Amino acid sequence: MTTDLGFWVLQTLNALQLSMLLFLLSVGLTVIFGLMHFVNLAHGSLYAFGAYVAATLAETLGYWGGFVLAPLAVAALGAVLYFTLIRSQRRAGPMAQVLVTFGLIFVAVDATRLIWGDLPIGIAVPALLDGQIALLGVEYPVYRLFIIALGLAVLAVLTLILTRTQIGAMIRAGVDNDQMAACLGINVERMFFLVFVVGCALAGLAGAVAAPVLSVTPDMGLQILIPTLIVIVIGGLGSLKGAVAGALIFGFVQTFGAVLLPTLSSVLIYALLAAVLVTRPEGLLPAKG
Amino acid sequence: MFTHTPLRLTTLALLAAGSLSYAYIAGFFGLEILAEIAILAILVIALDLVAGFGGMVSLCHGALLGVGAYAFTVAATEAGLPALPAMLLSVALSSVLAFAIGAVCARSTGIYFIMATLAFGQMAYSFVFQSPLFGGDDGLSGAPRPDLTAIGIDFTDSRAFAVYTILLVALSYLIASATLRSGLGRSLVGIHHNEKRLRALGLTVWRAKATAFAISGALAGLAGCLAAQHTQYVSPGLLSWTVSGEALVVVILGGLGTLVGPLLGAILFVVLKHEISAITPYWHAIVGLILIAVVMSRAKGVFGFIEARWEARSPKPVVKEAKADA
Repeated sequence: MTTDLGFWVLQTLNALQLSMLLFLLSVGLTVIFGLMHFVNLAHGSLYAFGAYVAATLAETLGYWGGFVLAPLAVAALGAVLYFTLIRSQRRAGPMAQVLVTFGLIFVAVDATRLIWGDLPIGIAVPALLDGQIALLGVEYPVYRLFIIALGLAVLAVLTLILTRTQIGAMIRAGVDNDQMAACLGINVERMFFLVFVVGCALAGLAGAVAAPVLSVTPDMGLQILIPTLIVIVIGGLGSLKGAVAGALIFGFVQTFGAVLLPTLSSVLIYALLAAVLVTRPEGLLPAKG
Repeated sequence: MFTHTPLRLTTLALLAAGSLSYAYIAGFFGLEILAEIAILAILVIALDLVAGFGGMVSLCHGALLGVGAYAFTVAATEAGLPALPAMLLSVALSSVLAFAIGAVCARSTGIYFIMATLAFGQMAYSFVFQSPLFGGDDGLSGAPRPDLTAIGIDFTDSRAFAVYTILLVALSYLIASATLRSGLGRSLVGIHHNEKRLRALGLTVWRAKATAFAISGALAGLAGCLAAQHTQYVSPGLLSWTVSGEALVVVILGGLGTLVGPLLGAILFVVLKHEISAITPYWHAIVGLILIAVVMSRAKGVFGFIEARWEARSPKPVVKEAKADA
């Protein structure tokens, strides 16, 4: 099995697909943390909300309607959360934030159960991306390649924005030293809000993209939360590069661990996380040097 | 530093009298709830010891509880040990594990500490979940209750079992308060306030943190033994990080860093859970909303709120001033 090239290609693609999905989720969370020092455990719930909105809209507007509108809906929800809870808890310290957003998870899980019921909802892959394609000798679903491509596209856009535009420079300044940035005339409050909403929209996008691959259930937000946290902690809180590195490490360790060392696979990733935290408590590629 | 104010002592006396007298009048269902409250109370005492006084917010206490529960079940069924040695063994195991986790995580603070403990907790969870020795997803059953029929006490009776769990809550409380009033407890509070100063004073900070974590882990392991004895069944769900999260919720609702408050929190949480879940299946949402409200109000939980009111009403400062004038 392991000498077959097709096997490696297939597993590499699977790993990439998982990495890109986690990247979409973790990039928002990590930049929110880096900029605002805010720990949002409810990020996974925003992802679940995105998946539900996409699944509901897919019935009337088709897949692409959900794909476009779900991130907007989640961004709107994020804006509401920002003004009601997030802003007042920004300076309250990590424990208050962990608790408030933990409470939000409880509320979010029950709210989705109340609105959409307990049963999993499935949505079909759009016709445009249905089917399989032959790639280096293996048949691979087009939709999963689309997830990889979308992740790479988001990565490219975010890298361009963060490194080449004025707003990107302002965000980097804010991550580095928010008080100094404010002294230089940057409206840090408005930037926080913008970053938070964009992070929420990316979580919603991840939900909409994941919906056809995974089934949409009330606890999907809770299930994805731990992997997302592992990604950003391994990568280093607050850094885009860290989110990419963390997502790739998680995707590859998880995928190859599951096929090569099935008995150890899930312990492996936590052992890796513990090793990173012990040797480099700030993560592999922290935002601040 | 931890002190027993008159209000705290009164609350403890009321809790002890109330729970013991309830244990004599309650029916079967009431006794089951009482045992559930007692087990949660031991877990939150353990968590408050490190989180409230040492600032070490742990998301691995559920895993420590689960390790205790599994170790007890395996020792008592597979290895065939009597219940009491099996309990001692599993408490020791949880404690050693907690010492190791505490020692490794001692360098990290804040959110990194929370994440590191989460990582270790999840490691234990996935290990138990995947290992065939521990029954995987199905869990293990058949954990026995201690056999004291020789002296006429039958723990299969839920009344005797409830009293036994309450006595162990009292024991755990005594261990925790004795720890906090010892040199170790004072160092722990000192580290929480200013770690650099304690280091400069010559304290081996990591050892103090790890020792406190080990004592806390022993209590969590004890709670695990009782949980295994109570339902006589253990499942990987006991080790899940949401158990740790809920324990943290209980500590916060009751009053972080008061040691007495979490006991009230445990009673409130279990009673609310049963009352609300009788009305609506969405009781988690209600608990979530209460949690958000409590944290945002910045009150130190129910007991913190009572203490603040009590101190505001207390005439003591006025008396002192009057004396100074005279």
